[in-house]
Amino acid sequence: MATAAGASEATETGSGRRLLAGARRHPELVLGLVIVALLIFTALFPFALTGHSPTDVDVAGALQPPSDEHLFGTDDVGRDIFARAIYGTRVTLSVVAGSLLIAAVLGGLAGLIAGYAGRWLDMGAARLVDVILSFPPILLGVVITGVLGTGMVNLVAALAIVYLPVFFRIARAGAIAEAGQTYVEAARALGMPEPVILFRHVLRNVLPLVIMQYMILFPLALQIEAALGFLGLGIQPPTPDWGAMLEQAKNYLLIAPWMSVFPGLFILTAALGVILVGRGVQRIGDAG
Amino acid sequence: MATFLIRRLAASLVTAILASIVVFLLVRAVPGDIVAQMLGQAGDDPRTAASLRAFFGLDRPVHVQYLDWLGSALTGDLGTSWNQGRPVAGIVLQAFAVTLELGLLTLLVATLVGVPLGLLAGVYEGRWPDHLVQAVNVTGLAAPVFWVGLMLLIGASAWFRWSPPIMYRGPTQDLAQNLEILFLPIVSLGILQAVAYSQFVRQSVVSAMGRDYVRLAIAKGLPMRTVVFKHVLRNILIPLVTFMGLILIQILGGVVVIESLFALPGLGRLLLTSIQNRDFPIVQGGLLLVVAMALLVNLVVDLLYTWVDPRMRR
Repeated sequence: MATAAGASEATETGSGRRLLAGARRHPELVLGLVIVALLIFTALFPFALTGHSPTDVDVAGALQPPSDEHLFGTDDVGRDIFARAIYGTRVTLSVVAGSLLIAAVLGGLAGLIAGYAGRWLDMGAARLVDVILSFPPILLGVVITGVLGTGMVNLVAALAIVYLPVFFRIARAGAIAEAGQTYVEAARALGMPEPVILFRHVLRNVLPLVIMQYMILFPLALQIEAALGFLGLGIQPPTPDWGAMLEQAKNYLLIAPWMSVFPGLFILTAALGVILVGRGVQRIGDAG
Repeated sequence: MATFLIRRLAASLVTAILASIVVFLLVRAVPGDIVAQMLGQAGDDPRTAASLRAFFGLDRPVHVQYLDWLGSALTGDLGTSWNQGRPVAGIVLQAFAVTLELGLLTLLVATLVGVPLGLLAGVYEGRWPDHLVQAVNVTGLAAPVFWVGLMLLIGASAWFRWSPPIMYRGPTQDLAQNLEILFLPIVSLGILQAVAYSQFVRQSVVSAMGRDYVRLAIAKGLPMRTVVFKHVLRNILIPLVTFMGLILIQILGGVVVIESLFALPGLGRLLLTSIQNRDFPIVQGGLLLVVAMALLVNLVVDLLYTWVDPRMRR
């Protein structure tokens, strides 16, 4: 809805026409952007999409199949599944986006400094990162949430720890490549202080790599967040979270299949949207 | 070659030892140890707790515990499970056998499905078979593996009135029932891996199709079948084998959720329950095995590359 309005405004100008032609050449990207825009809208204004509460219990109306009243049916304590999925958008996506942002900032900065500074600092950090990366991400998530305990803050911390090394590697590789460039040498010759070179110039060239990595990791992190929720290690009910909804649903798999179908479709759609945007952006980058 | 091998082995060993330290410390950071859990709320008698801690060796300094554990681990003794009272090595290996069977069968299915799809998409790049395969790929990448498993369970029950047997049987006990149990887990894991495979193969084929040797083969008038199977496939075989290794690591690491969904007594589920029960020896042993497997596969992949392409030997 939000994008449709934006697109019709844009067509009035010349650049708008070019935008439309571009959109026709990249249908994947457009579909992805529409999905992402809808998700953001849902996360910001869940109350605009449903009149039901995501947490109101109605034991008498438990396990009802989808109907006009309850679009996606109700769960084992009679909560409206559509409302839970809609309100869950904000919970699930902000956990994923937030933990990846923490990982990107901390891991990216550490990688940038390690790669630019080199020597023992780089050696030590790179080795530690290798060790963390030798654990499969989902297992690492399970162990860390096991150590920290369940809950939203711990879940965010666990996901951030899992993905921090990946950002470290990307930023480090970028910084090493940039450190050898002529412009760095030139800046140094001009007497520019090292931190200024690093944060004003090198960072600017490494940032696109980190942003691209963020988009690549987003669907993966979403799946791990959902998996941890499914294992009961993530967000705890009654807070609506897509993964945790599926954990509840598995006990009623054959009695109330609607409890399993819809939260999963939300996860799939969200991951799909981000993957499509990522591929579209990459394709434009490759062509240009 | 020998120096490369030694250097590579040494690096893997250092990573493995560092990983074991991380595992050891991580496990000990879990709040509430086995003693607290055994005594529960009723037993806060400090003397009982102290003697139990001494029994499990938890009263010694952490570095002594670690060196003791590492020394035994090097001889293949991973200690005794605190909950089951049996040797950890046996428990972990038994569970790993289940995971390995699941992983290898998934790899087989993923290869058989993913490679042809990738070839098809790559050869018909930009035309409808390519678009179709790509659409399937993107959807497959987006679908959570355990949700696919849930949907398969619902679908099998709704349309075929079939549910997998509940009791797990090993392949040597009852092969038919073993495969019946593993069928849905393999399909749910296999979809994601087949998709990853076909993405990779498509990319390799597309880049190979533009190479001179392929264009020459086409210009010579060789049938397309010969070009694809004899020239293109042969040249992407090595990256394909190495990719297989990466997929295997991914499967072995990612089975936790599928194993707990389908109640398979594999390594992933063992680790999950052992963390919940605070059974440190099993968690340590199991994680060590997982990391060692990942390092081993990576090592083999690297060596394979070096053997094929001497330029990789620095």
